[in-house]
Amino acid sequence: MPPTPTGLPQVVISGLGYAGVHGYGRSCLEPALCGGEPPPTSEVDRPAGYHRRRGARRACLADPAGMGPWVAPAEARRMSPLSRLAVAAARMALEDAGLGSARGDGEAGRRGAAVPARGARGQGDWIGDGGDCRRDTAVVVATGFGPSSFSEALLRQILGDGPESASPYLFTESVANAPAAQIAIACGARGPSVTVCQRESGALLAVARGAAEVAAGRACRALVGVVDEISPLVHALLDRFGALARGVPTVGGEPDGSELARPFDRRRDGVVAADGAAMLVLERAADAVRRGARPLARVLAGGSAFDPTAPVTGWGAGHERLGAALRRTLDRAGLEASGVERIVSGGSGARGGDRLEAATLRAAWSGRPLPPVLVPKSVTGEYGGGFLAAAVLAAAGARFGPTAGFAEPDPALGLVPHDGRPLRAPATVLLSSLAAGGAAAWLVLAAP
Amino acid sequence: MRKEGASAAGSERRIVVSGVGAVSGLGWGIEALWQGLREGRTAIRRFQRFDHSGHRTHLAAEVPPPPPDLERWSSSQAGAGRQWSVADRFALAAAAEAFAGAGLAADGALAEAGVFFGSSTGGMWESEGFLAALLAGRRRSIHCLASQQVNGPGDAVARFAGAGGPVQTISSACASGALAADAALQALRSGEVELAIAGGSDSLCQLTYAGFNALRSVDEQPCRPFRAGRAGMSLGEGAAVLVLEPAARALARGARPLAELAGSASSCDAHHMTAPHPRGEGAAAAMLAALADAGVGADAVDFLNAHGTGTPLNDAAEWHAMEEVFGERAARIPLVATKALVGHLLGSAGAIEAVATVLALARGELHPAWSEEGIGGDTADGDAVPALPVSLVVGKPLPVPEARVALSTSLAFGGSNAVLVFRRWSDPAA
Repeated sequence: MPPTPTGLPQVVISGLGYAGVHGYGRSCLEPALCGGEPPPTSEVDRPAGYHRRRGARRACLADPAGMGPWVAPAEARRMSPLSRLAVAAARMALEDAGLGSARGDGEAGRRGAAVPARGARGQGDWIGDGGDCRRDTAVVVATGFGPSSFSEALLRQILGDGPESASPYLFTESVANAPAAQIAIACGARGPSVTVCQRESGALLAVARGAAEVAAGRACRALVGVVDEISPLVHALLDRFGALARGVPTVGGEPDGSELARPFDRRRDGVVAADGAAMLVLERAADAVRRGARPLARVLAGGSAFDPTAPVTGWGAGHERLGAALRRTLDRAGLEASGVERIVSGGSGARGGDRLEAATLRAAWSGRPLPPVLVPKSVTGEYGGGFLAAAVLAAAGARFGPTAGFAEPDPALGLVPHDGRPLRAPATVLLSSLAAGGAAAWLVLAAP
Repeated sequence: MRKEGASAAGSERRIVVSGVGAVSGLGWGIEALWQGLREGRTAIRRFQRFDHSGHRTHLAAEVPPPPPDLERWSSSQAGAGRQWSVADRFALAAAAEAFAGAGLAADGALAEAGVFFGSSTGGMWESEGFLAALLAGRRRSIHCLASQQVNGPGDAVARFAGAGGPVQTISSACASGALAADAALQALRSGEVELAIAGGSDSLCQLTYAGFNALRSVDEQPCRPFRAGRAGMSLGEGAAVLVLEPAARALARGARPLAELAGSASSCDAHHMTAPHPRGEGAAAAMLAALADAGVGADAVDFLNAHGTGTPLNDAAEWHAMEEVFGERAARIPLVATKALVGHLLGSAGAIEAVATVLALARGELHPAWSEEGIGGDTADGDAVPALPVSLVVGKPLPVPEARVALSTSLAFGGSNAVLVFRRWSDPAA
């Protein structure tokens, strides 16, 4: 297996786990992407009292019942909803990678066979192919908001009932790195454990960090990904900051619950927030070949930058500098812009975010035509791992339908997303994700 | 089309610390920190940030009000007062001091810098105020939450510096600050950045104060790491920032390196959410890997800045890890417990302890923990929790003019461990 342009060993993505609004497992996500359908949304718990009366009402919320086969009840009881999503997605990714039976439930799980008691010898055996590698598995998880429902519940106890009423269980699971820690415990992963919080850019930063750990030999394998939950408080805050798509106003002035993300569309007015998780298994290409795995994609390079002109809660005007940083990322991947066959954009329907994304891509391409631009967030929602999972599937050759929510091009953007026509599987894919607040991250993948 | 000849990684590059800054319970700035540390003066006392009468314990190392010139500087910055959290302010003051110390004006010189920051709670204190108002039926401006996420302090530093390089916040609880320095080191070695700002910031808030009390992890007295009768941690707040760059770059622009960041590594216990592995296996693995990364043997280590929270289990696990790594030397290696004086800064702990380690190497002196006189020490509690057989520096500073290599350990909630290896700077051309 040849080394990468940086001289480091090639790293591949050999497994994908997805737990989100479209169900559990990549097989649930692929038809949705192919159909180009907007995600199903649910009413958020507005009686919590945080929302404005005329604010957004709906988000994409994962069905917790779907986690049953992946997180045994005996484990779930000591995890936050966020940790459960993360552990479920990690186990799916391991199973997808052919690294043993990773399920935490089913009959075997309920009997305790698949998930040994905490601290028992053999914990994490389902990673399966050698103790040394298991010990050195890194876990890198991104989360934008952390275990917000537990933080919110804990604060309600402290502020409402008094500090002595604080639950140690809620506190333990309210820390941002709880999902990464629970994955490590569930999988016996004793390599580096890192939690990245960089809003919408976090997922790609996490993948790049994990790939670097594997390439440099600091870990022989990495479980990397992203997990988020949209608690009522997070939803209300996003809405108060004007981040969320609005439905059509009714006669009374309230939205009708038809919120729709319209990435790159002239009428876009915000994102539809989603909870969920996506986890990947990364390993050296040579190791994947040795054990007969069939990778989904190769990781060529990661890159990131910051736009200091960005306001704290929005996007700036630094597309020229970001475009230059993107070109450096492509350079590290050994590619010219013209060598990128597909872009998976983090365009979400945010007015400022999509404007900066389009301008940055145009700057990096120096005005030359862009390759087809896939925009999965209008199918998966913003946050929750759908973007990362969809992007990996794109690199693996999955078919994408028309861009959900898009109908009217915005002449100010100069970018028209994919219209659904059949495309051949790409040899190279650029993933792009710009965060509110100024961070930007890119990842370059190649066909396996 | 594919391009040929992309640059190779420069892993052999020596990375140095060319500037440091800090805000802690001992005051604003490096000299306030160092003077307090070398005097063994603890900042852990009754505090004002919030009403703690309903909490189980009543002490913390709270940052004092800023000096007037810093207050004026802070007020003159765009966005001040409306969007900065307390943690942001700590981070910005520490960063400004580090930039000045490194000889880098914030205007333009940092344009390509990367920012690698640790935080555990970011603007949680401000979120609590917002939520309390909502629960009480009062309206409060949304702007107080603009920077409430944990990436707030790191982003604020990047915005202030005009930094256009990679920016990432790591929130792995008490290892966040050390993991941020680890990430910066990797980015510098790979050539991804030529200048890195590494650090961390956290502020006191009710969530962590009540949470650690709920776990019965907080000592009712100032914390007593490694000592008999230790009964938990003391919380603190503040920020610390290190400017990191290749030695050749620092020397070429006339900067005077303070120390070399020679290596780093991290691991996970994969054992329990709140309890460390009882034998400190994960911590030992991280120490050994960090030493290997730095290319030095355990016998070359001259002192260790311990995680040393003061909880019975954590200190014991760290001691066992030291035994594993250093063998019979473990009991003789001078051990520094910075948390005994500034408290536990959570997401910033690894950063401020890294700064304390750099200062110790640069100034040839190890700071003591506070003296036991009049505090209790080997009292009735000591019967239940014996002292660990470490060589803790206590009472007065320990001169170490010949010290060359030091470890700084950070062992977090969730079993995440990070270890940094610092080497005293000696100019090979000198």
